[in-house]
Amino acid sequence: MKQNPNTVSFTLNGELKTFATEPNEKLLALLRREGYKGTKYGCGQGTCGACTVLMDDRAVYACLLYAMQAEGRDIRTIESIGTFDKPSELQQELIQGGAVQCGFCIPGMIMSAEALMKAETTFDDDIVREYMDGNLCRCTGYEKIWAALRKVLDRQESAGVQGSGASSHPES
Amino acid sequence: MKLCEFIRPASLPAARDNLRELGAKGMILAGGTALHFMQDHTPVTAVDITRLGLSFIKHEGAFYNIGATTPLADIQRYRAPRWAMHEICRRISTHQIRNISTLGGNICRVFPWADLPVVLLAMDARMVIYSGKETEFPADEYFKTQPAKRFLGGDILTSVKVPALQAHHGFGSIKVVRTEASFAMVTIAARLELDGANIKSARVAAGSAIPFPRRLPSVEAALVGREAATAVFQEAAGKAGADAPWRGREGMSPDYSRHLAEVSILDALERAATFARGRAE
Repeated sequence: MKQNPNTVSFTLNGELKTFATEPNEKLLALLRREGYKGTKYGCGQGTCGACTVLMDDRAVYACLLYAMQAEGRDIRTIESIGTFDKPSELQQELIQGGAVQCGFCIPGMIMSAEALMKAETTFDDDIVREYMDGNLCRCTGYEKIWAALRKVLDRQESAGVQGSGASSHPES
Repeated sequence: MKLCEFIRPASLPAARDNLRELGAKGMILAGGTALHFMQDHTPVTAVDITRLGLSFIKHEGAFYNIGATTPLADIQRYRAPRWAMHEICRRISTHQIRNISTLGGNICRVFPWADLPVVLLAMDARMVIYSGKETEFPADEYFKTQPAKRFLGGDILTSVKVPALQAHHGFGSIKVVRTEASFAMVTIAARLELDGANIKSARVAAGSAIPFPRRLPSVEAALVGREAATAVFQEAAGKAGADAPWRGREGMSPDYSRHLAEVSILDALERAATFARGRAE
């Protein structure tokens, strides 16, 4: 069964979309070409995590996925998380904690945290490290990012909001 | 690797037909992460096998049967009594890579630093390959040379059968890295079968600091029939120098690599023995 070599269709931030593409195009290139520039091009080789998006609720590197691999999948980018006017709970904590310096790594960090909050029911340090181990920051030394994330996760645990990722969507 | 076409076959036979027809121009795509790093820019057609029902973990009697396109993250998260595969999968690369990278992708084309071949050699796993019918290959045969050669004719790895560890069996793996997500400096895996206080059988394998993953027969021979004790483990680990051409890299001398391997073998054996005596699940 040959795939149409010119298009790929997937759900992007809740909307079913079809894009022109080529077999060799990376998902990251497609997203940025289509205006989803919150997903950053960092290393381009699956190391830094700046291009992290969710595919079927799992964190993946968009630079190591061919766009065709997203066919029929559910893709979510940082644009689905919050806005300048209505930042998500984690985005607010990152700002208030002074955790954003150059900011290039932050979209990827938030998407990995999103995957964590969607999948897990408890947030001990080991599991948090596991979900965040594929995101590098070269400005902050991680401490403030960690502290901001820890605050959100601790509140979620206290409130019994588990495995829903609800805190990332201020509207919901 | 440059993809010029993308095929999504509807069945395993169709995928094999596609690959046979394409010959050298065809490339199996599962997770696909390795394709991004291949320096050969010859245009190829990707044959996507991720939607053929090959992603599963099933407990089938004496084996755990793991589908070839099962992501490493699924193997890491799977839990069952005396399941041992999760520990090494947690140590492979990053969370994002483990969500995409597959079991098959790690063992169909073996790189010197690959961890899973080491574990599967120690576990005495069996690889199931589809060539019109399914045939099983023991790890010793499968990893004797570069497995990629087996798949040039369009055959497809469908699953890996990992023996379920019995009550008197134990398994331990050690991966030494500079940073959490980096490739291994050395990987060691050991499986012990105990008979009371003594070792009835042993399989020990190594990778990363040698050209290709392999078992360590001198180490194994120094264990069988002897007490499962630290002094015996140390003596056996000291035989590693005779079993493989340990090589230096990234600032390590060959002697340092060998020493690192010996220390890691000791740790892996201690872990395997603890497991065999009754690991806390």
